[in-house]
Amino acid sequence: MAKEFGTLFLFLAGGFVLSLVIVFVNWLLRPRNPSSAKARTYECGLETEGPTWVQFKISYYLYALIFVVFDVEVVFLYPWASSFKSAGLVPFVEMAIFIGVLALGIWFAWKKGAFEWN
Amino acid sequence: MDFSTLTLEIGAAALALILLVVGLFLPDGKKGQVGIVAALGFAFLLVLSFLAPGSKGPFFMGQYMNDGISVLFKQIFILGSLLVTLMSLRFTRRFEDARGEFYVLLAFSLVGMMGMAGATDFLTLYIALELMSIPLVVLTAFEKGSMRSTEAGMKYVLLGAMSSAILLFGLSFLYGAAGSFGYGAVMAALTGGQTGPLVVIGGIFALAGLAFKVAAVPFHMWSPDIYEGAPVPVTAFLAVASKAAGFAALLRFFPVVLVPLGLGMTTLIVLIAALSMVLGNLTAIPQTNIKRMLAWSSIAHAGYMLLGVMVASFAGAAALVYYLLVYLFANVGAFAAVTAWSELSGSDEISSFKGMWKKSPLISTVFIVSLLSLAGIPPAAGFIGKFFLFVEVAHKGYLWLVALALVMSVVSLYYYVSVIKTLVSEAPEGETSKADIPLALRAVMLVSAVSTVVLGVLPGPVMGYIRNILSTLSS
Repeated sequence: MAKEFGTLFLFLAGGFVLSLVIVFVNWLLRPRNPSSAKARTYECGLETEGPTWVQFKISYYLYALIFVVFDVEVVFLYPWASSFKSAGLVPFVEMAIFIGVLALGIWFAWKKGAFEWN
Repeated sequence: MDFSTLTLEIGAAALALILLVVGLFLPDGKKGQVGIVAALGFAFLLVLSFLAPGSKGPFFMGQYMNDGISVLFKQIFILGSLLVTLMSLRFTRRFEDARGEFYVLLAFSLVGMMGMAGATDFLTLYIALELMSIPLVVLTAFEKGSMRSTEAGMKYVLLGAMSSAILLFGLSFLYGAAGSFGYGAVMAALTGGQTGPLVVIGGIFALAGLAFKVAAVPFHMWSPDIYEGAPVPVTAFLAVASKAAGFAALLRFFPVVLVPLGLGMTTLIVLIAALSMVLGNLTAIPQTNIKRMLAWSSIAHAGYMLLGVMVASFAGAAALVYYLLVYLFANVGAFAAVTAWSELSGSDEISSFKGMWKKSPLISTVFIVSLLSLAGIPPAAGFIGKFFLFVEVAHKGYLWLVALALVMSVVSLYYYVSVIKTLVSEAPEGETSKADIPLALRAVMLVSAVSTVVLGVLPGPVMGYIRNILSTLSS
């Protein structure tokens, strides 16, 4: 076992050394003429337009929440569906209750106007 | 699998969903009726808990347990929810559009508490704990327009997340040592020699996470701010039911790490209890806001009750449950009186209590009985609750701890009595508008005051019932 891990260690050490060598060689070969443009933050190559702290509409979080409802639904539905034939009646009733509760949640969100965009 | 084990849990979850639907069908001005349905539902659950508490025994491969302790605690939670609901029927007017959801969240929190009382598995415990806490956070921040309420909610969410993380961190170490989430398996593995520094760390961290929930020193910092900022009925719910749920979880969890880690664990609990008693009572003295004062007093009471956990015996558990019941009625009485008075005077500063006796003898009487019970003066139930608890501690051989608790009870007398002194003193000006207290709130105040006196004068029947349930339903 020690031998196998030794091989692994050689690869690891080789990786480290190689990266150091590359940085060193680059440092040796590169031309040296710094300018202010080079010292600037790289933002997709473009200057930013206006303030970068933009406010998003808070309504987005409602969509995220409702998305989670569907997400959880799928997570539980899939394993049940894949063993639907062998599972039998009790899991079917359980899943019906589960989906019922989630449907109630969506209905609640709907009634409360979570899907209105204003 | 026998689903009748979960009768009460299923009942509470169904109630929460029913309340949600009822709230959707009611027109905008009448959402308050959800509260009445909620009160009826909680009352039904309370009756159900006596008639059919569910078949005893483990459930779902040992992840859950329905025995004497969990049935008693569930009854305490349901009683707390019922009283808080009745207390808040008029109070929730100010929430307008979200009035129905107040009760829905209360019911969901109740489900989580029941889970905490029954959990015998780390994962179940954690999920139940979060199910309890998240609705409580929303309830704390329910007064949308109020800065204090929002700030309290923010603090609760951040500190609650931190305590959950600490708890999970501790549990992960115990899982690492035992290779299982189940209490029984973990206990077996730890007593079978799996002890090391990491297990000690795990035990301490898990204990810290649960001590946060019961607000024991040094994990108490959140409670005064949050108790002060939250709406009064929610504060009552936090002080009574959420704390009881923490103790239910502690009572189950503590034995798991007690035997393998031995004396060190007991010393730790004793230390936390002693610190809570001393700091809670001493810091309560200079408080000028009644909710803050009651928060510090509840920290002190957490210290007394931790002694019941430390004893780790049948009699200790019975004394703890009795004390929690006494504490529930005393606190609900005090907070109901605060609710009624703050509706009247618009303030919950202690200095605004001047002239309360003239204005409303009912509020004053209930307040005095509750405060005397919290202080432990004989005709009220607090005395007999403390007596049961301290006798068990003395049996265990911690006489100095009993002495400390007694001294601290005397200290607590000072600040409780000075509130009483304020409320019987003359009002600064002579305006006497008649107190208009809603019927439900009046009923809650009367029930709490009468129960406090009855539990203090006739402790036999209730204590007998507690011992009986504990012994017949325990495995």
